[in-house]
Amino acid sequence: MSNRTFPFPFTKDQYAYSNNSSILDPPWTLTVTEDYEKEITLKRKLLQQNHSRCFRSLPISIESQWEVMRLVFTQLSEAYPSHFSFTQKGKEFQFQNHLLNEEETFIFRDCTSIELEPMDLAGRHVQEDLILMGDRSDGLFLEAGQLCFPSNWSLAFVLGMEFKSIHYPVPGITDNGFIEKVGRFISRIRPNTAWERKNWSITISEKLDTPLETYADWGRMRQEVTEENAGELVHLRVEVQRLFRMPINHDILFSIHTYLLSLEELIKNEQWLMLFYRNIKTLDDDIADYKGISQYKKEMLGFVEKTMAEKEKMNR
Amino acid sequence: MNTFMQKYYQLKVQKTEYVTPTIKTFTFASESEKLPHFGAGSHISLKLPMGKRQYSLINDPLQDESEYTIAVKNVGTEGGGSSFLHHHVKPGETIEVASPENYFQIRTEARRHLFLAAGIGITPFLSMMAFLSHTGQSFDLYYAGSSASECAFYSTIKKRYPDQAHFYFMEREQKEKELQNVLRNQCIGTHIYICGPSAFMDHYITYCKGLGYPDENIHSERFRPSSTIQNPKAFQVTEEQSAKTLYVNSNQSLLEALIDEGITVPYACRMGVCGTCEVEVCNGSVLHNETFLTEEEKKEKMLACVSRGEGAITIKV
Repeated sequence: MSNRTFPFPFTKDQYAYSNNSSILDPPWTLTVTEDYEKEITLKRKLLQQNHSRCFRSLPISIESQWEVMRLVFTQLSEAYPSHFSFTQKGKEFQFQNHLLNEEETFIFRDCTSIELEPMDLAGRHVQEDLILMGDRSDGLFLEAGQLCFPSNWSLAFVLGMEFKSIHYPVPGITDNGFIEKVGRFISRIRPNTAWERKNWSITISEKLDTPLETYADWGRMRQEVTEENAGELVHLRVEVQRLFRMPINHDILFSIHTYLLSLEELIKNEQWLMLFYRNIKTLDDDIADYKGISQYKKEMLGFVEKTMAEKEKMNR
Repeated sequence: MNTFMQKYYQLKVQKTEYVTPTIKTFTFASESEKLPHFGAGSHISLKLPMGKRQYSLINDPLQDESEYTIAVKNVGTEGGGSSFLHHHVKPGETIEVASPENYFQIRTEARRHLFLAAGIGITPFLSMMAFLSHTGQSFDLYYAGSSASECAFYSTIKKRYPDQAHFYFMEREQKEKELQNVLRNQCIGTHIYICGPSAFMDHYITYCKGLGYPDENIHSERFRPSSTIQNPKAFQVTEEQSAKTLYVNSNQSLLEALIDEGITVPYACRMGVCGTCEVEVCNGSVLHNETFLTEEEKKEKMLACVSRGEGAITIKV
């Protein structure tokens, strides 16, 4: 994507975990970008080819799924009224997607009125991956998800797992009770309120769909990075993650909008280049390993340092 | 600033109705916008001349009717919120109402929901029963009152939930005996929801715990005045690491004062929700004003963005 709309994640010189969440007003959980049609096409192709990898749900999630679907269609039509409309006539709801020239009709909470599960249907109209976290008396559980663009994780593996267990593989995440605190923060999000945070990683090539299940295909590309091709191959991957408390069922909708920007594009912004360099340079080894950066860190930094030296020469 | 980004609506009183000689319902709607959805067990806060007062919504959460209805018992206290509503709030008038909150939500995972109500404590269960009838989950209501005529929504409940509603109008001792018997004979996975006068709730919460119900299966709601600090006062803070002592003015937060002094504290929400600006309290007494820390944590920590010291305190960043 172009760097005009890219949500650059670094604000400080060194990376550290933090609950860097900010509240959103209006509390919209979705964003439509210039890549809408391209990404929707890819998403639907993945769903068609690998449905059980990309959509999973537990029976307990069905009421919340309906709430998600109505919320997604309502928010799309409020945020982008020229692209989407959503109306109700009697019992029947009608959603129109003017960008794709499509229409969905349904009766709220009537499973016979649609052919897919509600969140599986709604997710096909948004670029975001949608995760439903059930707020139970003993924790937050992943109860349904439509996940096409994961950054090296598996929906099938985490379905039904509790928030803390899902995050267990992240190095240092349990230090100072960090993950408990984040869990507690989420459990206290108020109805109809949305929070946003950014997460980042690195992906080799412009590939949105990097599930754990196909690691053998995309993971080996990490060995192909050289100082010469890093600008083109290496992409900064940013997930804009939003958490929304659904008022009726009191569960949490977690939406993930993934953005990729090649280093070639990133280096055009000198401030970004500097921040990117400092964050990668000082990154702890265990986090670098977890994010899969260790294999090509040297080559990538070589490219960045060379670019910085060239820019400095030109600025003189 | 509105501490929790809560939205307020100017709502018009659509109608009022006596459901018993001392209990009156009030229905509110907006003339300009659709009201937000809410869940079973939600409440709204009304801004009244004597302060904010909370009342449970008794609407059906799935009806989507864009109006809020509450039921208020006139407890007769001079200058109280309920007496004001009963005597001074008439149809056509406008009241400022905060968007719904929910601290008494239905626990979807329950195998069975058991509602224990006394008197006006019935209100949150009206939205819960309506919701569960739609979703087809198993529930029962045990409703204690002094008599059928003083029991709010008696006939509606009896008609709508003939198999699930059980009423207790007998002598107190007999009532207790029967209700305890009910609580002793439940299946594993039952969640208990209790609402009524404080003494009633305390009694049955203790009783349920004694029977071995897990804490997370016992739910109750009592409305308390909100913990917002009304008249913030200045206080003195010593930060141990930097050995600096500074004053926090009445119109300033501890977080702002620390930052002004060049002491780095990570922060994010600045409304006592995210927990990022937590600092250690080494000495002194603190007025906690947030929803993040547990009671245990409050003994040695505070959130610099919204909580304040009293007099002089010592902290460590």
